[in-house]
Amino acid sequence: MSIRALWIISHCKGEPGTVRFSKRYPTVERRAREMAGAKYVAVPEDAAVLHPLLTELALTDPEKPFVAARDDCARPQRSPALELRLEGREGGALWPLLAVTQGGLILACLPLVDAPPEPRPPLPSLASVSQALSLLAGLQAFLCGPGGKAEADLLASRLAILPAVVLQVCPLGTPLDTPQAGLPPAPSPPAAGAQKQPAWKPGGHRGRATVNVALSEHVRSMQYGSRTKQDLWDVFGTVTCKCELEGVLPNVTVTLSLPPNGSPLQDVLVHPCVTSLDSSVLTASSVDDGDGSAFSGPYKFPFSPPLEPFCLCSYTSQVPVPPILGSYQLKEEEHQLKVTVSLKLHESVKNSFEYCEAHLPFFNRGQLTNVDVRVSSGQLEVSREKGLLVWVLGQKFPRSLEVSLGGTVSFSGQAQGPVEPLCTGLTAYIKLYFRVPDLTLSGCSVDQHSVQVYSSAKPRISTSRELVSSEYYIWNSTGDAPVSSGLMML
Amino acid sequence: MAAPGPISWAPRVAAFSGSPSRFLSGTSPEAFLGELLRDLRDDRTSEATKVLLLSPLQEYPLVLCPSASVGEETAEALMALFAHAPPKSLNLRCHLMLAITSVLICTSCVKRDVKVAGSFLDLLVLTIQDTNDHKDGSAFRLLRAMACDCLREMETCFPGLLSQKLEALYFLKQQETTTLHQAYSLLYTLVLKNAVHLLSQQTGAGDGDLKSLLAGNEDFDWQATEKTLPPFRVSTMEQIPMLQTSTETKELKSVVSLLLEESYLHNPVSQSALLRELIQVVAMVQALSPAIFKSQLLRLFGTMDISLLHSTLLMKGAFTDSLFTTEDENFLLKRLLGMAQHPLLNTSQKLFYMDCILHFPENRPMSLNGEESLPVLVTPRLAISLLPTVFNDSSTMLCRMNLLCLVYLEADNEEGVGYLYDHLMALRKIVDNHGTREMTTTFFKAVFLFLSYFYHNEKLANEMTKSLCELYSRHCNLAPNLINLTDQIQKHLEDPGWVIKLLNALQNQIVELPVSQVSLQSLCWHLKILGRVAKETQVSQRSTVHFLFNLLISSDLCGSGDWRMGNAILAICRNLLQHPSLDQVFVDLADLLQFMMHRYEDTDIRDHARFYYTLLTNLSREKLSGVLAMGPEVGQAKVRSLSSIMAESEEQSSCLTIQPTKQPVLQLVRLRDDGMLGTLCNGRPEISKGEVDSLFHKLFSICLHFDLTDSNYEEMSDISVPCLFINRKPPVVFLKLKPRQPYPTSLRACAIFTTEDGLSWHTDLADVPVAFPDIFQPLPVPADWPLETREQLFENLWKSLCADESRQSAISLFCFEIGERSLRDIIDSHFHRFLISKQADQELQKALLFLPPQFHVLLKIRNAEDAARVDVAMDNWKLLPFINSYLKSITNPA
Repeated sequence: MSIRALWIISHCKGEPGTVRFSKRYPTVERRAREMAGAKYVAVPEDAAVLHPLLTELALTDPEKPFVAARDDCARPQRSPALELRLEGREGGALWPLLAVTQGGLILACLPLVDAPPEPRPPLPSLASVSQALSLLAGLQAFLCGPGGKAEADLLASRLAILPAVVLQVCPLGTPLDTPQAGLPPAPSPPAAGAQKQPAWKPGGHRGRATVNVALSEHVRSMQYGSRTKQDLWDVFGTVTCKCELEGVLPNVTVTLSLPPNGSPLQDVLVHPCVTSLDSSVLTASSVDDGDGSAFSGPYKFPFSPPLEPFCLCSYTSQVPVPPILGSYQLKEEEHQLKVTVSLKLHESVKNSFEYCEAHLPFFNRGQLTNVDVRVSSGQLEVSREKGLLVWVLGQKFPRSLEVSLGGTVSFSGQAQGPVEPLCTGLTAYIKLYFRVPDLTLSGCSVDQHSVQVYSSAKPRISTSRELVSSEYYIWNSTGDAPVSSGLMML
Repeated sequence: MAAPGPISWAPRVAAFSGSPSRFLSGTSPEAFLGELLRDLRDDRTSEATKVLLLSPLQEYPLVLCPSASVGEETAEALMALFAHAPPKSLNLRCHLMLAITSVLICTSCVKRDVKVAGSFLDLLVLTIQDTNDHKDGSAFRLLRAMACDCLREMETCFPGLLSQKLEALYFLKQQETTTLHQAYSLLYTLVLKNAVHLLSQQTGAGDGDLKSLLAGNEDFDWQATEKTLPPFRVSTMEQIPMLQTSTETKELKSVVSLLLEESYLHNPVSQSALLRELIQVVAMVQALSPAIFKSQLLRLFGTMDISLLHSTLLMKGAFTDSLFTTEDENFLLKRLLGMAQHPLLNTSQKLFYMDCILHFPENRPMSLNGEESLPVLVTPRLAISLLPTVFNDSSTMLCRMNLLCLVYLEADNEEGVGYLYDHLMALRKIVDNHGTREMTTTFFKAVFLFLSYFYHNEKLANEMTKSLCELYSRHCNLAPNLINLTDQIQKHLEDPGWVIKLLNALQNQIVELPVSQVSLQSLCWHLKILGRVAKETQVSQRSTVHFLFNLLISSDLCGSGDWRMGNAILAICRNLLQHPSLDQVFVDLADLLQFMMHRYEDTDIRDHARFYYTLLTNLSREKLSGVLAMGPEVGQAKVRSLSSIMAESEEQSSCLTIQPTKQPVLQLVRLRDDGMLGTLCNGRPEISKGEVDSLFHKLFSICLHFDLTDSNYEEMSDISVPCLFINRKPPVVFLKLKPRQPYPTSLRACAIFTTEDGLSWHTDLADVPVAFPDIFQPLPVPADWPLETREQLFENLWKSLCADESRQSAISLFCFEIGERSLRDIIDSHFHRFLISKQADQELQKALLFLPPQFHVLLKIRNAEDAARVDVAMDNWKLLPFINSYLKSITNPA
């Protein structure tokens, strides 16, 4: 359950890459040597790791279209674990190297194989792998911040304190915890009674007791407007809590409820602080919707909260209709494109958006020149260089709940516009961006009064809901849209 | 003394960590370690710098402490630092603990007879006894946490070391109520597991032993450091060591129950570690029922944490149907399928879950060999959500492709296979529209995967051929990808029929092109494809030859004299010369070559064409193939003509290049030093051979090359040895070293040689160590100098060294017990060549060591009352540590 070495590498396109941080664990290395015997391959110096790793991630020689070591079709690129083929005197291969790339940052670590190296043990049989993946995910969140984008100064300041963080979470190669962004709270004194302080809650809260439960639902959709292709949409939700309560282990129960006839929550995943679960909460699964006797709530989640905000649970759901149904038609006419779009808000959806925008990108056609487009509602913004029309629909759909856009656009072939190999010819899409506060599509809700808190002080409880779009596409029905899901086969 | 100031440490430590070998080439490990320890001891060094100075020891203990004795000394030095560190310097003390742990474990110093190991372990145990910050306050919590982890690492490396302290550890674990209870629990659980494991190895261990084990409160079990317990994994059921006990394991049961109950208070990472140890304990103790985990299962089933779910899967692998019902199994599998495409999980987690599906621990597994296999319960319907789409990233797409190929192969599902094929065509369309390089590579990988499962599906395989040809017709720069695909499919599939069809189709497509419309750029790719086609024995080559001939006649290629194009054509011809149906194209090929040898505007190409023409028209088929056969795969080639220098494939050109040997073939054996050599050589290594392949029994033109590992020596010139035969006396070679600094070193050696069949090889040899005494030379004065003069010189030197103002020189005193050997023996065997005073009976013996290029070490050796005493003077203080360890090594009775 240990790792042999850890690297943080930054890499920009066309540059050789630099090791920003590296850490080796010699005592774990000793165990690796004893376990592997004659097959032992030592972790080489950083310089000797860098090039093979970049090759394995296909980041070397960007100007060469085919390099056998990088592009061989028989080399598997399937598993999360890479095999690092070392160059130079000793040669050999390091396996299983886990690597996570984000932006220009590569986080990599080499878990210990606590089994004879040959035959190569299956990855899931190695206890160290999931621990290493957790560690990498934690480091990633720590280095890149919540937004997921590594900004240069944030990254530099985080890298500067990284040695101290690694000392805490993985001093001798065995991960003890995942790194926490922000300063650790002051250690609380030992509790008076025999109650042990949870390791995931190093301090206590003093002051006003509050509980905040936020339910956020994302809806994805692929609409084709075609007889042969079925439109798709699905919903996934997360419940985020922030609890400021006194006491070592205060008990809270959050209950999610569905409206009558609501379809059950599927693939429910819970945070480790949830103390117990009813088996019926977990039964519904999106891969198998055959179970008619499905449980439809209420979903009770008893837990004892950590100090920081956390994701209490997540779920997916099948809803009967998409919130916005759209149609998109493009026609090639001489030197211009004729565009027709209509969007219809479903009547069951609350007509009160925080924002609602439709983006119409045009790829592989050069820059936009003439735009002669009218909209029945909202405003149109044109970004000529980006080849993008943004239709800002504002806060409300009109009373008819239908809006339309029509007109022609033309392009200058000379100036370079945006390129996307997926969208050639009439293969084109509209992407919708919207947020509706105080709404969920699944109907799932947390009633303020259903949140039970067993604590000395009566807490202030607040709850909220929202519906946010995520990958919401409407494809041009006159073009050939790529299939987005195997569910088409059903 | 050029001591680096505190400011200059950060870049130096960074340079060391970046590449220890390069850093140490400018100094020596001893010297660097000395510097580190000196500044660590220096009170003026800031705490932050000291922490920095410890990092080389934490990460590279073996580089800095190459031997157990150095390790022990270093650990002692660090322990002294720990004792003197101010109590408030917690961070420094934590780092010291880590450094000592690393040094002790890595230099194999954790032994009963190493005093510092015992005292360090005592220190760790003492540190963790301050439960609930009772004595030292909460500021010390970090140090206690570190001590727990150090003990855990010690116990992991030497399983059983703490096994006799279970009761004490249990007590501490129970007492602790701060967040550190997690560290104590983990330590206790690990020790418990190892103790049970140890007990299971003893024959006849029973209930009583288990009971006394839990109540143990004794010293460290040093035996654990001598013989390590063989590790075991619970996923391979048959190898689990078993502890046979009756049903009375109440104590153990309550211990395990309590640990499980409190596991909720651990963070997920350590919770999963704890679970894994407990799985092993329950698996080993027959009387403990796996049902003890039952209360945790539901919580684990629902978890979103990857390490907890992974532990659950390992638990399933360990206990199968004794803990998991069929419904559980069904549920877990559906769960994994759902997680493998969950929108909220990151890519590497999803990939890992897909791997878990293919290695799912079924209650009734069909195969036990650990290979990828599809669980019986995964049906096409369940797997439908994992169908690949063009919106996936490359890894996810290929992983899903592989899984679904298995699903549809197993279920014999035509419709599903059709979907996968359509998906490939969607990818093809993206590649066709100038997709990224990554997409192109992914497409070919996906095609390879698909074909390796469904090559027997004639309809789809034929369609694939057609669509690849279409793709090629628009993007002939994909030729290398296509050639790679054909090569790999041929290598991995028993039935190469598909490859023949594809190559045939590509050939037809190319030869039918109107020559006038072929651009030079695309011609280059076409010729590559035709070259590959020409290797295929089952493909008729007539059209290729016609095409080439037509090309030469009707284009201006001959006139332009493009050397690369000419070579590309010759490469095809070369393959054709080896083709079994050469007869069919004999005349046409001869015409082609003749045309080239007369008309091609490049002398080199004309010459080669003439050469091939001569071969074709003058040699029999057998001889022709014998002459042209290339590469180790075809057999031992006799000819490595330059004719193939531009041939595109790596195997062919490998004949021309130097090939690496798979194993070392040569060995340098050091001859014993006879001590009388007046030259600058350090012994006389010879070349000899061990068990080697008969190919290497006769070697010629051996060139030995030596690379320095540091900058303390001048570059060495290569050594040539004419030949070496296995049954003859090996030749003797001399290595001449010219030190810049008289430090020990090690040389990297390699050799290039030729074997009887004319191939050239490169082989690595073992490193050649150069020890400190190897550098010693006698006084470099004429041999006829009388003894008195030498003594005079010695005395004068001694005086000047003692009075040295430049602070470069050093005086030192070394005492040792003589033991059984007489002082005379020691002097004779080590300093004989260097003695200044020759009379054996003299009370005081003087020796002068000359260390090239310009250093001197003077020794005065005499018998004191109960020990021998060596006064040392030298004109370079940096030699002091080497002299000390050398004297130690020769005077140590062991």
